[in-house]
Amino acid sequence: MDMTRQQTLKQQVTLLELVDRVLNKGVVLSGDITLSVANVDLVYVGLRVLLSSVATLEEQREQISATGAAR
Amino acid sequence: MIHLYGVVEELEELPAVAGVDLGSLERHRVEGIELVVSRTPIERNEVTQEAVMSHANVVEELMARSCAVLPARFGSAFVDEQELADAVRAKASELTRGLKLVRGCVEFGLRAVDGKDAAESASREPSGRDYMRARLAEEKARRRLADEVHEPLVRLSRASTRFAGASPDLLHAAYLVPGQEVAVFREEVHRLETAHPDLMIVCTGPWPPYSFADSRESPA
Repeated sequence: MDMTRQQTLKQQVTLLELVDRVLNKGVVLSGDITLSVANVDLVYVGLRVLLSSVATLEEQREQISATGAAR
Repeated sequence: MIHLYGVVEELEELPAVAGVDLGSLERHRVEGIELVVSRTPIERNEVTQEAVMSHANVVEELMARSCAVLPARFGSAFVDEQELADAVRAKASELTRGLKLVRGCVEFGLRAVDGKDAAESASREPSGRDYMRARLAEEKARRRLADEVHEPLVRLSRASTRFAGASPDLLHAAYLVPGQEVAVFREEVHRLETAHPDLMIVCTGPWPPYSFADSRESPA
C-alpha cells in the first residue's frame, strides 16, 4: 500500500530525472539547440505536480507515524 | 542531419541498438576525439518521449562499453560532417578535460523535499516585520538542513552540483561518484534518510554523467 505508492513515485521521479537530464544537461557542441518548447514545458508541469504529490505522501507518512502505526 | 549521442573514450564496439528515428549508430573521430552519431532524415527538433528514450538508451549502452562518456544534450544536430568536425574542434580541449573528469564515475541525482514546509507557512499570519524575520529564520534553517544532506555526499564525490530554480525542493543536486565509492554513497544516502525522517529523499541513478558533461555549468 504505502510502500508500493512510494515505489511508484520513485519510478516517476526517475523518469522525470531522466528526461530532465537528456533535455537540459549533457554537453552542447553546437551553439543552437532548437527544441519545441511546448513539450519541454509539459515535462516541467509534470514535475511540479509530481513533487507536490511527494509532499502529500510525506504528510500521510507523518500522520501514520503520529498515530503509532509505523513500526 | 547528424544526431550526436556523446563523446566516448575507448569504446569497445558500437552497441547493437537503434538510435533516434531508428538510425544506425556510427563512430566518428575528429582530432583524436571519438563521437557516436546517427543520421536522421529530418531535422529532429521536436521532442517526443520515444526520441528521448532512444537517445538515453544509446547513451546507457555507450556507458557500458567505454571507459568514459560525455553524454550529448538531446537536440545536438549537425547538417553534415564538416559542421560536426568544426564544432568538435572548437571545443576539443574542454571535451578532453570533461572525459578526464568523468572517467570511472557515475552520476547520482538527489531530491529532498521537506514535508512540513507547506503546512507551516500556510498557518502563519502575515504581520509585517515579525513575519519577515520569521521567514528569514525559516529560510536559514532550510539552508542549514539542505547543507546537512548535501555535504556528506559531496565528500564521497569527485564533483557535485546543486541546481537552483523555482522548485519546492529543499535540495536538488547531482553527484559524480567514482565506481568504487558507489556502495558507500548509497549507504550514506540511507543513513541520511534515517537521520532526517521528516524529509522525503529520492536518490536516482546511477546515470551517465549528464550533469557533468558540459564545462559551462562548472561543477562546484
